[in-house]
Amino acid sequence: MVIQIILIATAVVLFVFFIRSSHSVRTQAFKRIGFVIFLFLSLDAVLRPNDTTWLAHKVGVGRGADLLLYMLVAAFAFFAVNTFLRFRSLERRFTDLARAIALREAQLPPEVVTAPAPQVPAQAAARDQASEPESTLSGGSAR
Amino acid sequence: MTDYDDVWIVIPVYNEGAVISDVVEHTRETFPNIVCVDDGSRDDSAARIAQTGAHLVRHPVNLGQGAALQTGIAYALAQPGMRHLVTFDADGQHRVEDAETMLAVARSGEADVVLGSRFLEQNEQIPLLKRIVLRTVVTLSPTARKLKLSDAHNGLRVLNREAASGLRITMNGMAHASEIVGFLASSGLKVREVPVTILYTEYSRSKGQSLINGVNILFDLSVRQRGA
Repeated sequence: MVIQIILIATAVVLFVFFIRSSHSVRTQAFKRIGFVIFLFLSLDAVLRPNDTTWLAHKVGVGRGADLLLYMLVAAFAFFAVNTFLRFRSLERRFTDLARAIALREAQLPPEVVTAPAPQVPAQAAARDQASEPESTLSGGSAR
Repeated sequence: MTDYDDVWIVIPVYNEGAVISDVVEHTRETFPNIVCVDDGSRDDSAARIAQTGAHLVRHPVNLGQGAALQTGIAYALAQPGMRHLVTFDADGQHRVEDAETMLAVARSGEADVVLGSRFLEQNEQIPLLKRIVLRTVVTLSPTARKLKLSDAHNGLRVLNREAASGLRITMNGMAHASEIVGFLASSGLKVREVPVTILYTEYSRSKGQSLINGVNILFDLSVRQRGA
């Protein structure tokens, strides 16, 4: 049945999306195109409910409602993966930020503070850290 | 007495107020340079560290032990003249003597990285269940097998400057130990294991990570390199 091929293909695409190490501007664009198509399809499904049934028969599903359910599952899985990736990229940036602050405010032990010319290594380390992940600045397209 | 001016001890600290002063003071009898990374402790750990002779770096929020280690490593790397760093657990389960032995190996140039292992010699101190779980983790980890390591989750490690600057711990939680092993396996650095003794005190037993946390570690690792 056609629907089986479609659903399996969706799962494969999701998996590739999940294990790909880089999310480029292209991925972002495809996500947005997909979202717009999804919007139009939902409009159509609301205005002309029979279309879903027609499409369901085309791909070998009994009822339009069943087809909608399948699509919902696929959409939800996509949403979950996307959110997971977004959260992790956020967490990494958050860690870099907290680390930079921590290093900047390092407290030297009393005897070092009173000793002559204590190095100020914290700033150097913070700069090191801050300059490293430059790629994380661009939207959701972190490493 | 050997000169340890070029050695930095990195101690990640999270809610260890009860013991951290003793651990730091005891370690400082041998090693002059210590940096404690307080990982947003809710107890008085930070205040206690401030009274010792250790450098104190405080995470503004709790990030996890892996993140604390990476912060400590970044701090140590920025210190002038630093050539080796030693990661050390805050609960007093590591012996300073073991760290010295491992440093001697690292300084001889035999290895870039020296890892402490609980299993190289028969060690009756380890609780049986813990021993089984730790062994299983090693067996399941392909990178640990590649390096022929016997213990992938020991907090006592010695890294030279080169190894430390290559390391980028991204697993903030407890999976960093396996992440470090993975890095070592792919880096081509010379890695040696040295037998160490772990002092399983009442305190460290009560603090030690629960075995069920191993499930979390396995999950974290399995999705480590995925996506962003």
